[in-house]
Amino acid sequence: MYLTREEERILDGECGWANQTCMKILVRLGELFNGRRLIPISTAHVSGISYKTLGDAPIEFLRALADANGKVKVKTTLNPQGLDPEYLAKRLPNNLCQKQLDILEQFERMGSTPSLTCTPYHLEKPDRGSHLAWAESSAVVYANSVLGAWTNREGGPSALAAAIVGKTPDYGMHRAANRQPSILVNIEAELQNETDFGALGIHLGKLLRDKVPAIQGLQKTSKDSLKQLSAAIATTGMANMFHCGTCPREKKMEEITVEDKDVRRAIDELSTAPSKKPDLVFIGCPHCSVDEMKQVAKLARGKKVKPGTEFWVCTSNHVREAAGDCVREIEKSGGHVLAGVCTVVSWTEKLGIQTIMTNSAKTAYYAPNLSKAETILSPMKECLKAALQG
Amino acid sequence: MQPLVLKGRPIVEGHCTAEALVSTKPISFLGGVDPADGKIVEKKHDLCGACMKDKILCFPHGHGSTVGSYVLYSLAKKGLAPKAIINETADPVVVVGAIIANVPMIDQVHINQIRTGDMVEVDACKGTAKILKRKED
Repeated sequence: MYLTREEERILDGECGWANQTCMKILVRLGELFNGRRLIPISTAHVSGISYKTLGDAPIEFLRALADANGKVKVKTTLNPQGLDPEYLAKRLPNNLCQKQLDILEQFERMGSTPSLTCTPYHLEKPDRGSHLAWAESSAVVYANSVLGAWTNREGGPSALAAAIVGKTPDYGMHRAANRQPSILVNIEAELQNETDFGALGIHLGKLLRDKVPAIQGLQKTSKDSLKQLSAAIATTGMANMFHCGTCPREKKMEEITVEDKDVRRAIDELSTAPSKKPDLVFIGCPHCSVDEMKQVAKLARGKKVKPGTEFWVCTSNHVREAAGDCVREIEKSGGHVLAGVCTVVSWTEKLGIQTIMTNSAKTAYYAPNLSKAETILSPMKECLKAALQG
Repeated sequence: MQPLVLKGRPIVEGHCTAEALVSTKPISFLGGVDPADGKIVEKKHDLCGACMKDKILCFPHGHGSTVGSYVLYSLAKKGLAPKAIINETADPVVVVGAIIANVPMIDQVHINQIRTGDMVEVDACKGTAKILKRKED
């Protein structure tokens, strides 16, 4: 891979250990995946923020980078944390809160923006064609497929490395040729709501490996359903993007068809709970948009959360502020709007939650292992019916 | 009998010999692996319950969360990481994890030639995996 003299100096350690370590990660990735050079990025988005998923050892890695004066060179947003300072911090053991604060402090020392969301594009939409280094697989697929920005699916540390260097190797999704569809997906299933789109993603992710699909008939799909599809397709696969417009039929492409039974099977497999009574009803994976906040608020209006049930809506601080009326409506019903938090990387098992009902296929996939919970996967309307009465 | 040598691509350098642990299914290090003991915990996974500590871990490719890189790093710091990783197709999340955890890694290997329990020598500088001894049936 070609490196400028400046880049070589960084690689040789002339700009300190933090820059050198980050440059090593980028050069190794670039060489492996046939990158030709490093290209500047507009923004970075880093995953691995929650203490629950990060654990102790990586905190020391982050601290060492910050101690060695590692500083981000571009706007760098952060994924959600494991608890919020208002509601969950008061219910969870103090040592978890302290560790979580320690992690945030290291990222702050490196100059990142504490956005604490998996939907950084709700905060600031990247330009079409701009090059990014984003971790958070759901945001990667959404950025490539829906927003037309260009990013690989970075690992948490490589997104941070790109942030500190301000560049990324130009392999994979940063090259037009690799963004061309190589498989055509015909949808014969009837996709009625956001949960069906999530289930479609779970099914496709397993089949596609790293192929770029052109999925037929998504032109009228809402952004929020495409967000569910993006999150789920990355959960079970290596996919970085899909095409959702009409597909160029110039070349002969492999074709697959998705039927109703494929989508139903995915939903059944992600609903593990023997009973239909959830301890927690959760909306907001990925984090709710303003539109979704409005939908939830409308369904919650005049109702009360059932006794013995928790009702959480997760979103970013940014959307929480922008949708103040909706937040008040949801809170009036007894629900909690948790900003900057993600349920599956929180400690629901420590709150005695054994069954989680959600409209998110991604959450339903991860919750049995990460949260030791049984799952019920149903669309938002059904979730709110289960959570609320009156 | 000549030992079978599988040729792949070097990713993270290193050299080691250990028993193989082979899966036909992709692995998500976040959620799929318990960082406390190195065991695969994903239900319905063909390696569910198996421990990767000190094994040559062979699987087609990684999938899922981008936090997986840090899980591999944590396993290495606790001495629970595999001795080496062999993939059919390397994905960036596993690659970055192997780089910061210093776990030798190769890819572009036909892992269906390797069986769990085989004694395998990995030369991740050359990108080769040599099957020294087959597990006795």
